[in-house]
Amino acid sequence: MADMDKDNVAIKVRGLWKSFGDHEVLKGIDETIKKGEKVVVIGPSGSGKSTFLRCLNLLEKPTAGQIWVDGEEITAPGCKVDNLRQRMGMVFQHFNLFPHMTIMRNITLAPIQKGLMSKDEAYEKATSLLKRIGLWEKADAYPNMLSGGQKQRVAIVRSLAMNPDVMLFDEPTSALDPEMVGEVLSLMKELAQVGMTMVVVTHEMGFAREVGTRVLFMDEGIIMEQNTPNEFFAQPKHPRLKDFLAKVL
Amino acid sequence: MDWLTGIISFCRDAVVRTFIVDNRYQIFLDGIKHTLIITLGALFVGVAIGVAVAISKVYYYQVGPYTIMGSLKLFFKTRRLEFLGRILLRLWDGFLNVYLTVFRGTPVVVQLMIWAFVVFATADGILVAIIGFGVNSGAYVAEIVRAGIMAIDKGQTEAGRSLGLSAAATMRLIVLPQAFKNVLPALSNELIALLKETSIVGYIAVVDITKAAALVRARTFDAFIPLLFVSAFYLLMVTILTFFQKKLEKTLQASDRK
Repeated sequence: MADMDKDNVAIKVRGLWKSFGDHEVLKGIDETIKKGEKVVVIGPSGSGKSTFLRCLNLLEKPTAGQIWVDGEEITAPGCKVDNLRQRMGMVFQHFNLFPHMTIMRNITLAPIQKGLMSKDEAYEKATSLLKRIGLWEKADAYPNMLSGGQKQRVAIVRSLAMNPDVMLFDEPTSALDPEMVGEVLSLMKELAQVGMTMVVVTHEMGFAREVGTRVLFMDEGIIMEQNTPNEFFAQPKHPRLKDFLAKVL
Repeated sequence: MDWLTGIISFCRDAVVRTFIVDNRYQIFLDGIKHTLIITLGALFVGVAIGVAVAISKVYYYQVGPYTIMGSLKLFFKTRRLEFLGRILLRLWDGFLNVYLTVFRGTPVVVQLMIWAFVVFATADGILVAIIGFGVNSGAYVAEIVRAGIMAIDKGQTEAGRSLGLSAAATMRLIVLPQAFKNVLPALSNELIALLKETSIVGYIAVVDITKAAALVRARTFDAFIPLLFVSAFYLLMVTILTFFQKKLEKTLQASDRK
């Protein structure tokens, strides 16, 4: 059974620990994420959910434990981290667009630099992505001239330009004005519909319920509970989760 | 109005004595040439050293700090070479600290004489001056650039790295351009200071514009015209530099428009 599933596994995490100095943030995480899954991670602040996500593309170096992406152990010494990262897109809470570059350059920079595409191909790809999100006329604008929602959508297609297998979202709507949350979530829904493997740390319970295939509840550095969205919200078991849901719903 | 004619003719005589007699303008022209060569050369050396030192220090700041004893213990425990690398990194950072302290802590004229009379006793004076001012300026540029790099949000590096760019590419394409924009005024300051600082190069027998003025003054016994000319030269150069700085700043501000 395990072997049959092997080709189907996008990310496997075993015994993941992470501490910053004396502060233990992750205390032993085991998790397997299959291809095409949309895993939503929720939990109170300080629960380690962002750190967990950032460990998946090694923005944080795990203190202990192993992580496999597409069957390759990325925590092994000598793993080519840069090549791993280009297969995993990441979207940040604060967008992190490059303010000194035009939108077009933001999107085409990495594909050209990494030699994935010629300049023309990268421009073509960026053009079609920008048209898809209705921001083609902003191609020559700078990030500062965009609204928060527009920035985050550009940040998402910047990651998509690398043709990633997995997309990681670290609270992608938390820094947005309320009226801009919708446009970002609907782009993420679109992505989900075309079968992208997604791991999303968010406070958007509606998104978790509607788009997630599985919801994880993290607290105190471990995954306390997980379930399908329906069961998760309808029948929370752990008192901490009940407590949390009572506060946020 | 005899007194006015008197002043005018006195000045005309002084100008003629300072610049025309014995083709003395040639001394000034050579001086200007040397001042500019030394300034540009030292600028190049200083920026090269400064950027390298700044990047190195920021890198150590991000991955470190390491202790030599601690790294040594870890090496003996694990036999992994990366712990020896940490020791090298620690030593290198210590060396850079010494560099910054010594070259910012002693007068540049003293450094210059040490370069000229102790280190390179026989080398060409202009080359020695470029090295002397360059190495000195590098220490200041390093701190300016380091401040600029540290001021760039960590998210910029993370975004670059998460797109698969290497640490070096992220630094070169994403962090440094933004840092450069932020520190341009401070860098211009440093360049202006450097240009004027080269006026002490006469101490090691290089004839720059200031030394040229001194030589001519000693022949003509007239101090006013040569020093006025030298002052005007520096002022003009600084004005030109400031003009280009403002222009460059404007260009770089294109991305700030809302």
